[in-house]
Amino acid sequence: MTAAAYTSNRSSGLRDFIPRLPAGVWSLSGFSLLWFGGIVLPLLAIIVVSFLQGRGLKINFDPTILQYKRFFSYGGGEMLARSVRIAGTVTMIELLLAFPFALWLAKGCKNNTVRLLTFTALTVPFFLSPAARVIVWRSVFGINGVVNQILLGVGIVDEPVLWLIFSEFSVHFGFIGAFFPTMVWPIFLSVSLIDNDFLEASGDLGASRLRTLLHIILPLALPGIVAGFVFTFIPMLGDAVVASHMGGNNVLMLAAQVQSLIGVSNFLVAAALAAVVLAIMLAFQVLLWLALKPVGGLAGVFASLRR
Amino acid sequence: MKHSKHLYFGLSRRHFIKGAAAGAAIVGAPAVLKGLTRRSKAAEKGVIRMLFTAPTMIPGDWTTFEKDTGLKMEDTVIKDDPGIFLTEVQVNDAGERFDLISTLSGTEQSLIDGGNIMQMEASAMSNWSGMPASIQSMPYLVRDLSPDAGKVWGVPMAMNADSFGYLPAKLDEPRPPEEASWSLVFESEKTMGRSSTGDNYIYLWEALAYLKNTGQLAVKDILNPSPEEAKATADFLIKRKEAGQFRLFWKIFDDQIAVMKNGEVDAIRCWEPAVNEVNKAGGDWVYATATEFYTKWMHAAYITSQVEDRGNLDEVYIALNWFLSGGYAATITPLRGYLNGRPDLAVDYANSNGMDDISATMDAAQEKMALKFAKEDFWFSAVPENLQEMQAQMDRVLNA
Repeated sequence: MTAAAYTSNRSSGLRDFIPRLPAGVWSLSGFSLLWFGGIVLPLLAIIVVSFLQGRGLKINFDPTILQYKRFFSYGGGEMLARSVRIAGTVTMIELLLAFPFALWLAKGCKNNTVRLLTFTALTVPFFLSPAARVIVWRSVFGINGVVNQILLGVGIVDEPVLWLIFSEFSVHFGFIGAFFPTMVWPIFLSVSLIDNDFLEASGDLGASRLRTLLHIILPLALPGIVAGFVFTFIPMLGDAVVASHMGGNNVLMLAAQVQSLIGVSNFLVAAALAAVVLAIMLAFQVLLWLALKPVGGLAGVFASLRR
Repeated sequence: MKHSKHLYFGLSRRHFIKGAAAGAAIVGAPAVLKGLTRRSKAAEKGVIRMLFTAPTMIPGDWTTFEKDTGLKMEDTVIKDDPGIFLTEVQVNDAGERFDLISTLSGTEQSLIDGGNIMQMEASAMSNWSGMPASIQSMPYLVRDLSPDAGKVWGVPMAMNADSFGYLPAKLDEPRPPEEASWSLVFESEKTMGRSSTGDNYIYLWEALAYLKNTGQLAVKDILNPSPEEAKATADFLIKRKEAGQFRLFWKIFDDQIAVMKNGEVDAIRCWEPAVNEVNKAGGDWVYATATEFYTKWMHAAYITSQVEDRGNLDEVYIALNWFLSGGYAATITPLRGYLNGRPDLAVDYANSNGMDDISATMDAAQEKMALKFAKEDFWFSAVPENLQEMQAQMDRVLNA
């Protein structure tokens, strides 16, 4: 008996039943299984629970749409529309602010010290608690805050401006500061990966700076823009800190609504809310797919990274 | 084009992944170890682990407790939403990690039904018998619970009758003990745009009590408002919100202090310790002697069912007895303005332990409490029958 045959004959028991597949396939299957068990199953469970009846921790299995009716009758529709509107608006503002900043950081800034300091400035806020990051704005925009003191001192207003805090304005402002780094980082990385030769070639061929920006930089930076959009918009929808601290609960948003439902053990309506949010996310996926179709879909966008 | 295997600053991808994995292990290890050891830690001799839902129940630190009992206290505070508390106890098995749990009275029946708490032996706590009969028989703790109505399930920790804070000089309103109306919070022109209340069902309930006591709403049972009454109250609050009455709806204790200190409001439904904190910083706030009603509440402590098997019941009773002692009374009342079950023991305790003279403070607190508890409305329960409907109506107010 050869050594190979001996080794082969030693294989027995459970191993005989496991298909002999390449390691990559096993990894893929493992991740798929984890993803299904850790992400898909809980989401399916939430959807199922949203169609049940019960109170607190006691649930009975009679299908109903009562929880959806309740959610919308208590102003849930307005809250969702408000959350999406605010998160969408701020994400667009972030994009307009972050793109030129990231472009400068990646291609314009030649001084490594300045770049390092900028990196630090973008990272430091993440070491603070989310509340600490926004609470400081209260003393700036409050009734006796710095801005009101200046406005009153200069004589622009006779009385303190109240809408600077505990309003939609202050919620927008709080989000802009808190989520700026999440938009900058992905765009910075994708712009950094653009080969300088492309930019120089574009200039050598007579393209203006604007034309180079629109036809070279922007398409190649698209993966970062898409990633920045995802990393900014979605966490913002789930943020409970800014709307509460800056909006004073005058501007109820998604996360605060979930907390409120959980706080009184209203898990079924919370599940209905989660299911509605899931539907909105799916709708956004479709919109994103349609929007990116002209450039070859999501695969086309990320193709630039394979250069 | 050749791909670089190095990111910025000469860091290779392999090293980056290794570093990230090591970092994750270092950061995650304490949490994992804590999870693995938490069951055994709950039974550690000489240590009482207690879950709180209000930081204001903690008497500054536990020095006095440890000196008086010889035990060590480890406290954990979570938010006082009943859903969060009940989930922590009933779903996350808080009893595996805590010997005592404490929250606002009213949750007892849920805890009994869930088998989460043990019935108590009042005789095991020497300070129990001296408690006034009115406190021993307060709603929820021992009364009307099934099974075994009349048996003891909880120990009173601290109680108060809540009202609101306001700036008497600025608003030209009287100082306590003269009465001031809740209208300063809900519908006064004097506080338009400069009043505030909280963001959950408790504060809708108080608006309902205000409407009842000012004859604006007929309420059948103030202890258990109906969904229709809750809706009518929400309609009232929405009208006031649209008129510009409220500056904000606060969420936590720190919010109350911050908006009072920053001058954002002139009247606010708040906890009494918030007024004390702001006044320590030079404020001129008073806590109202209210015209219409008070929110009478009690935080109570309960023994988790798992204690029976852990074998530290004797130590748990020593800890509970301390909450009924002069030691707790002499610390919590001067600090928070609350009363425990035995305020009568406080002065003697303070005198015999070399503390400042607190007799005037204790007298004032007891007088205040007698005055406020004499008002008929209303004893607050953490879990009223229509809790979810009440919160839903409050959400409607916040969404308006």
